[in-house]
Amino acid sequence: MEERILEFIGDLRRAELRISTSEALDALAASAEVGLTDRETFKSTLAATLVKEARDHETFDRIFNLYFLDLQALGEGLKKALGPEDPKVQEQLDRLVDEEGLDLDELTELLMRGQGSEMEMAIRGGAQGAGLERLMYFLQVGYFSRRIADQFDWSAIEADIEKIMQALEARGLDPGQLARIRNYLELRLEAFRRMIRQHVQRELERRAYRAGEQLTREVLADKPLFALTPDEVAQMKGVVAKLARRIKDALALRQRQEQKGRIDSRRTIRKSLQYGGVPMEIYLKRRHREKPKLITICDVSDSVRNASRFMLQLVWSLQECFSRVRSYVFVSEIAEVTQAFGTYPVERAIEWALKGAPVDYHCRSDFGYAFSRFANTELESLDRKTSILVLGDARNNYNDPQAWALRLIRERVKGIIWLNPEGQWGWGIGDSVMPLYAPACDIVRECRTVGQLGEVVDNLVHQWWRRGR
Amino acid sequence: MFESVEEVQQRFRDARYIASRRISTVVFLAARMGRPVLVEGPAGVGKTELAKTLSDVTSRGLIRLQCYEGLDEGKALYEWKYAKQLLYTQLLRERIGELIADAPSLPEAVSRIAGQDDAFFSYRFLSPRPLLQAIRADDPVVLLVDEIDKAEPEFEAFLLEVLSDFQVSIPELGTVKAKHVPLVVLTSNNARELSDGLKRRCLHLFIDFPTPADELEIIRLKVPEIPERLARAVVAAVQKIRALELRKPPSVSESIDWARSLVILNARELDPTLVESTLTLLVKYEKDIERVRGALEKVLAE
Repeated sequence: MEERILEFIGDLRRAELRISTSEALDALAASAEVGLTDRETFKSTLAATLVKEARDHETFDRIFNLYFLDLQALGEGLKKALGPEDPKVQEQLDRLVDEEGLDLDELTELLMRGQGSEMEMAIRGGAQGAGLERLMYFLQVGYFSRRIADQFDWSAIEADIEKIMQALEARGLDPGQLARIRNYLELRLEAFRRMIRQHVQRELERRAYRAGEQLTREVLADKPLFALTPDEVAQMKGVVAKLARRIKDALALRQRQEQKGRIDSRRTIRKSLQYGGVPMEIYLKRRHREKPKLITICDVSDSVRNASRFMLQLVWSLQECFSRVRSYVFVSEIAEVTQAFGTYPVERAIEWALKGAPVDYHCRSDFGYAFSRFANTELESLDRKTSILVLGDARNNYNDPQAWALRLIRERVKGIIWLNPEGQWGWGIGDSVMPLYAPACDIVRECRTVGQLGEVVDNLVHQWWRRGR
Repeated sequence: MFESVEEVQQRFRDARYIASRRISTVVFLAARMGRPVLVEGPAGVGKTELAKTLSDVTSRGLIRLQCYEGLDEGKALYEWKYAKQLLYTQLLRERIGELIADAPSLPEAVSRIAGQDDAFFSYRFLSPRPLLQAIRADDPVVLLVDEIDKAEPEFEAFLLEVLSDFQVSIPELGTVKAKHVPLVVLTSNNARELSDGLKRRCLHLFIDFPTPADELEIIRLKVPEIPERLARAVVAAVQKIRALELRKPPSVSESIDWARSLVILNARELDPTLVESTLTLLVKYEKDIERVRGALEKVLAE
């Protein structure tokens, strides 16, 4: 069993759960404490020692079910497959074996009275020599099932069945009864074969799951956002959520400042009075860290739809993390969506921003107009603590870029960060006016994939807001 | 302490705490392996209560360390009573003077005073805080470190050190080793991610909102005078309200409060006006209240 647990841990690790050696040892020790009698207890034990993040429980459950079969359920399933067990037939067989002292093959014994769990264990034993680790495709299921089946001595079983039938015949059972018993045994034999096949299928599922997980993760992180299928978009949500979590953690960790700085003489002296004027405890002046003020401006036109979806999710999460975020979306008209993002849950907020926000979705994107409108109406509310995050491809449809507006905004704020979902090679080609806007920005980054988005986020958290301290 | 998981479950039940299979397994393991338990989950699902019940069930004293931002070793472990030390030296000035009066040289005087070090750095002048109390306790205790996520990461690292050896060194007094390894329960509301080291060291328990059956049991246990029909209605309504995507879904403690208030109001069943007037006991944010009000019909539907 220990090996099985270790193998299970290996798979958890492959599914990106972080499990240390000490935790693996804990799991072994703990499962020895509780034993294997109760599946639920066993599962809780492994969960308590191995899974330390609430969000990993789902993965754990899935892999656990692939590894540790619910033998009880399996037994019931087998019973169903066999049809209602015939107690009379079973009785006759039992009596026969007892009285005649027939020398039967182990497997035949198992077949005649075994429970589902014992059969499964036998199959597992047989599978060890069958080279299942080479199992990769669905088409191989038949082949490997045969290989496992080959590990059992079927001729001996058949001979045993014949032996039983003869012995029964010698006892003078009528042909009808004989046929029923033969039928019963054959049914069980068939069920056993089916169990072998199921075992192989499960194994395949486990392997496919392993490979599949890894593949999607690697591919998704580097796939251009515009090329994602709806399925992939759904998977990607989890990735962005993790990203947002990272921002939140990083910020929470920095909530307190290092104990450095100038002495706060007022508080130190006051405290020293308690000790007869001796400054036993020293207080330092708290440096006020500026709270980040953030304004996000997101292009929601059709051309960047997929990318904006992620951007908006990020915006939504940012708004949750920072207290002072204002969010805008535009196609050519620009509108503030802060309030909606604050009230709606993430899914709805994104859908709303992509379809229902008070901007006209049927026109072509016009960055210049949007920026000039923004500069006209919002310039007064900007200050040196504000950072602006622009998300868009800067494809201006040959409209007037009005770069002066962006420059004007830049003079008022701490900085402008531009994330472009288009590859760098396309900037400046065709209707892209990125080179005109770039000089007004502090950071311009290509942000085609979620991997790149992650880098940008790290950069923001660790450098951008630190810089100003 | 416990012989089996079932025993844990039974004894917790007797102490009026409904422990799911998962909870009792973890408690059992913690007692067996002497490991701290890190309990995570939404507010008000009985994380702190778990520690209290554990101390009840095992008849061990409960020592509680409430964490908050700015908590440091001085508040958690021990502190010298400087003021008392100073006062004593002032009062004893003459005695000290006598002691060194006939010292032939300054170094001799210094070493005489140094010889009396112990008088001022002894347990008499030490005020032990929860962690040291737990370690120095003569009888085994349950140590509850509440809301560890509120404290800073540095404190977490320090706590980890204490939890792995159960010993503390006080420079003036030497190392204090625990007589009994305390049962440690840490709770976290997930305000921030805890360090990997701490998580590795602990058994991890995630308590979520209870299943309807468990919640019904809890309400029956905590509000014994409630009519059965009302209890069922309360549980059904609360479960539906939790599904409404609220900013803060009602916790178990809030549904207990609500049930209690309904009993006080002599209610037999839930009707819309009653629910509306008592809703503030269950849902605490203005927006959430509005949302529940809007969905009241759905919530009360059978």
